[in-house]
Amino acid sequence: MMLGNVEFEMAWLAPEQWPRLPQHLVEWLVALCGLPEWLVSIAGWFTSAGVVVGVFMGLFALLSLIERKTLARVQNRYGPNRAGWFGILQPVADGIKMLTKEDIVPAKADWLLHLLGPVLIVIPSILALGVIPYGQDWVPVPLELGLVFFFAVGAMTEIAVFVAGWASGSKFPMLGAMRAISQMVSYELPLIISALAVVMMSGTLSLPEIVESQGGYTLGFLPQWNLFTPWGLSAGVVFFIACIAEANRCPFDLPEGESEIVAGHMTEYSGFKYALFFIGEYLGLFAISALGITLFLGGWQSPLPIFDFLPSWLWFFAKLAVVIFIFLWIRATFPRVRIDQLMRFAWLCLIPIALLSLPTAAIWHYANKANNDIVAWIATMPLVLIPWVVLTVLFNRRLSPATTRTYHFAE
Amino acid sequence: MNPIAISLTASAILFALGLFAVLSRRNAILVLVGIELMLNAANLNFIAFWRWGGADAALSGPLFVLFSIAIAAAEAAVGLAIILMAFRHTRSNDLNRLDSLHG
Amino acid sequence: MIPLLILTPAILLAAIGAAWKARPVHAALLLALCLSLVGCLYVAMGAHFIGLVQFSVYVGAVAILIVFSLLITRPSDDDEEKVRRMKTGMPALACSLPLLVMLGFTMFKQSALLEAPADEPAMSLKVLGEILFTDYAPAVLAMAVLLTAVMIGAALFAREPSKKPEPPSDS
Repeated sequence: MMLGNVEFEMAWLAPEQWPRLPQHLVEWLVALCGLPEWLVSIAGWFTSAGVVVGVFMGLFALLSLIERKTLARVQNRYGPNRAGWFGILQPVADGIKMLTKEDIVPAKADWLLHLLGPVLIVIPSILALGVIPYGQDWVPVPLELGLVFFFAVGAMTEIAVFVAGWASGSKFPMLGAMRAISQMVSYELPLIISALAVVMMSGTLSLPEIVESQGGYTLGFLPQWNLFTPWGLSAGVVFFIACIAEANRCPFDLPEGESEIVAGHMTEYSGFKYALFFIGEYLGLFAISALGITLFLGGWQSPLPIFDFLPSWLWFFAKLAVVIFIFLWIRATFPRVRIDQLMRFAWLCLIPIALLSLPTAAIWHYANKANNDIVAWIATMPLVLIPWVVLTVLFNRRLSPATTRTYHFAE
Repeated sequence: MNPIAISLTASAILFALGLFAVLSRRNAILVLVGIELMLNAANLNFIAFWRWGGADAALSGPLFVLFSIAIAAAEAAVGLAIILMAFRHTRSNDLNRLDSLHG
Repeated sequence: MIPLLILTPAILLAAIGAAWKARPVHAALLLALCLSLVGCLYVAMGAHFIGLVQFSVYVGAVAILIVFSLLITRPSDDDEEKVRRMKTGMPALACSLPLLVMLGFTMFKQSALLEAPADEPAMSLKVLGEILFTDYAPAVLAMAVLLTAVMIGAALFAREPSKKPEPPSDS
């Protein structure tokens, strides 16, 4: 039997290594107890998984408060301000409320599937968070197939939503689940196709390598992130819009539109199962924003070379905060779209643009290979701009059913 | 029992189960479920032979499975579209009721 | 070897459920479980990419399609299905059991010849991609054409026959 042997190193204390410090310490302590090598690595894996889950559960609690505060600020009211200073204890109060509520299972429900629904929603989000490179040395699970894994796991969410909606055994959850599934299936296409453009350019499916391919600065200050190229801008915007729909956020939050179908697939849930839906939703939001940052915003790369002294994971979380804030801002500003507008938008607008970003990326690649930056810009800019302009005009004039809608009873 | 025998047995049972579902079900969609089981039994064999059937540098086993998965997806989409059309005509997805050409 | 011994019984149990359960939605969900376990088995056998593709295509697309169309077409009554199964079950068993026996017989005659090699064949993603777009390029193109045709065809098939909407009568 091989005994584990881990030496304490001062390098672990560097700020860059802070997120991995718990893992190193646990491995060191377990090895100190004279336990075998495989046990040391298992303890290390569990700690590193625990760090990721812990960090994001903490962020979830924080976000649930910040979201309400931001919405309140936009809507000119105070928001939660009773529990603790500035309502800082509100997430704790919410948690206690959720935990102590009665767990109701409807008489017509299929109890096993009713229980499985919320669980199946949380699992894929946590699994997806595991493959994201958060920092230069902080990749919980460095997979060669990271991107494929992310989308394969994400496929589970749709089944989970269906299970939750069907098992409740009533009308509103079923309608909500059908809406949610059709929305997720339609928006998954532009999401994956726009991610494909990045894969084409960096030539790898491994997320850490995709981040590394975006390193460096043009002219010494402009970071070479994918968003700052014509094809990347186009694909990035499509990716962002599809993200909003995948995460079921406003203005695409039809599956749980309160004014239409109560709470969608969550209608028949109460207590902690309901809380699990929220946890799953927010963790999914974190996961998909993290993927967007990895693919288009340079992951943990710092925006200016002079800020390189800050630890890389700090930059990742700064970008995450900005992206999440944009999500909140959009939620506070835009009205909810109608279901037919939603599907039309995905199939007629987002998918063509996402598909066009593939040839644009190819042209960019070959022009760059010939070291011809100016030619690359001139060749790709029209390919990006024209479809956006044309589709926006078309969508507003011809295809939008809003212009042909007649109000029979509300005139 | 070597691993290849285990996976081949599993795949044979899977195929038989799929055939049983196809023959015993009357709901057209559940017949499709049986067909998916049979397709997967075949795919399992390809991967098992690639893994344990000697060196295969050309990766023809996995590649065949890749194409087979794509075809299965196409088949499911077309099959379900046809079932939906038939449902519109007969108001049922019972295969026994699709007998208007019956002499 | 150990993942194989754990996964194959689970796959077969899920498949039995998918082939036997009277409730259509249960059968479809068990199919999804069975296919995702097959995906896990591929990963355990070393075909990681195929396993993940299996997972995303079967669970993410095929299973979803099946449950969705189960919802659109009213699933038939459970009791009715049970009665029907009494009629169709025996002939179906009579057809599939001989097939199983035959498959088992051929397999046991052949698989004794196959010695399981100890080393796992390598599947590098780079090599897979290169083979796919050189030797298998015509097949990939044919697949692309097929999938596009299927997408258009399915959309046309499933289209609601267009009707003029009736103006609501004011009362």
